[in-house]
Amino acid sequence: MQIRDTEEIYQQLKKARIKILVPLIFLTITSYFCFIWVIAFNSKFFGTLIFDTNISIGIFLGFLLILLIFLITLIYVYLANKILEPLINKIQKNG
Amino acid sequence: MLLLGLLFSNLLFASTADGKPNYTAIIMFVLFVGVTLFITYWASKKTHTAKSFYTAGGNITGLQNGLAISGDFMSAASFLGISGLVYLSGFDGLIYSIGFLIGWPIILLLIAEPLRNLGKYSFSDVVSFRLKQKPIRILAACGSLSTVILYLIAQMVGAGKLIEILFGLPYYSAVMIVGGLMISYVTFGGMLATTWVQIIKAILLLSGATLMAFLVLYQFEFNFNQLFSEAVNIHSKGKNIMSPGGLISDPVSAISLGLALMFGTAGLPHILMRFFTVSDAVEARKSVVYATGFIGYFYILTFIIGFGAIVLVSNNPEYLNDSGALIGNNNMAAIHLSHAVGGDILLGFISAVAFATILAVVSGLTLAGASAISHDLYANAFLTGKNNEKMEMKVSKLATIFLGVLAVFLGILFEGQNVAFMVGLAFAIAATTNFPILILSIYWKNLTTRGAVIGGSAGLFIAILLVILGPVVWVDIFGNNEAIFPYKYPALFSMIVTFIGIWFFSKTDKTKTSIAEKKLFEAQYFRSQTGVGIDKPNGH
Repeated sequence: MQIRDTEEIYQQLKKARIKILVPLIFLTITSYFCFIWVIAFNSKFFGTLIFDTNISIGIFLGFLLILLIFLITLIYVYLANKILEPLINKIQKNG
Repeated sequence: MLLLGLLFSNLLFASTADGKPNYTAIIMFVLFVGVTLFITYWASKKTHTAKSFYTAGGNITGLQNGLAISGDFMSAASFLGISGLVYLSGFDGLIYSIGFLIGWPIILLLIAEPLRNLGKYSFSDVVSFRLKQKPIRILAACGSLSTVILYLIAQMVGAGKLIEILFGLPYYSAVMIVGGLMISYVTFGGMLATTWVQIIKAILLLSGATLMAFLVLYQFEFNFNQLFSEAVNIHSKGKNIMSPGGLISDPVSAISLGLALMFGTAGLPHILMRFFTVSDAVEARKSVVYATGFIGYFYILTFIIGFGAIVLVSNNPEYLNDSGALIGNNNMAAIHLSHAVGGDILLGFISAVAFATILAVVSGLTLAGASAISHDLYANAFLTGKNNEKMEMKVSKLATIFLGVLAVFLGILFEGQNVAFMVGLAFAIAATTNFPILILSIYWKNLTTRGAVIGGSAGLFIAILLVILGPVVWVDIFGNNEAIFPYKYPALFSMIVTFIGIWFFSKTDKTKTSIAEKKLFEAQYFRSQTGVGIDKPNGH
């Protein structure tokens, strides 16, 4: 009974983890390679100044990307603690 | 003691470039060395077993480990190098900062937890979890050691130069002081001392950089627009500093550098080793969030510092030599800026912090290298079965001394050489060898020993070969007219070789052992996801 229980929770855990990981990994990789891509192909665009200031789009987006990277780690830990950790705990209790 | 004597006698003569001793720098530095040596003494009493030597007993908290990781990662090269790059060409500094940061979500999402759940002391524990010990350990140790040694050379040469300029010490004695201190931290205090040295250094560096950025912004009434406007007016490249310059000019280089930075971080042995110092996967997760926050914040500071230097340093004759360039070189931008905004006292503080940074980073590297020699090569590849912990400890201490002496020797040998490419090569090797075998061993059922060994070593070989044949070594160092391999960054090509090699030679592997290895995957995956079966930490 207990073994079947563990197996079931484990399958749940695997599914939940994939649901969390796939969008976050996708977001990480695409945002970064878009950034690099613009630098390689259209670096002039990043030099455009925004909002009547001397701050360029490239610098603005670069700072935003640093923020996004940190946010991704925060979101993951929040979701992992809320969704994955209870499942992991149950499995650990079952041994 | 002899070392301390040498250190103090040298420091007495220490002086800044203009010949006056900077007492703040000397006092700060002596204080740092004193405190860290005391910590080492305290740690040495707690470091008796292999577990405490490699993992500090496994009791480090998420916040402490986050600080220690950021300490390992924020080297003097990234503090002085990136602010120097911003000073030189503005926006391009941001490309490196973001590249160094983007590896962290990858580590968190894919590696941190399985690593903690499967490994004991080093990442090769994870790779050899179900594969054959001997060949895998040798391969992983080769990957680790080449990463560590390349990184060490770059740090040592940078350290020697920096100390020469900052304290006026001769190059060779600067390199020897760094080597001597790092050997004492690691041999006597192991991971516990190394971790605390990292934590102290990270706090010092973060507060020093925060103070500098604050003082810069204060002069511009905390208005970024004003800072950028003045920088554009002053800089010889004008408004071009606000857009990408020549760092990346073609798409192949863009992707190749991007891959090396993104996945290289996830294959650095001294970073991966830090995940074994926390008690479980929950703390491992936490430590990455803290580390990412600290490192991201730090890169924003270096960007402000670089721009501050453009405005406040680049047209101040006090910091320029006769030809109008920065005294020292562009990497001194942050150091000169500290003097410009905070006088001799801040200059002294930042110089001491830069020195502390170097010491901490080389200690972390040496410990990771020593564990590759003692834990992977000695204990698990050559002594399989008759593992003797006492002997393993002895070997790891000997390995530390050996690596320390080697680092000093190589540091002196490479004096005056262009070593900037070595960090790039270290990242390329980490992304090409360490990262693929690690990630595939965790997630790909069909990985076999044969595939990992052939694919991993082919990638390692190609990465080194392409760097030698590329523009940096073939043209700049060997003095040939044209590079045989046209790109600066090899990672795109070498990673393809590794992955195809691993895939092909694993898929076609029909031996009995390979079938057994595939069968073990399910159990390993279960443990990597749930942490059932891992060692509990010592004590409380």
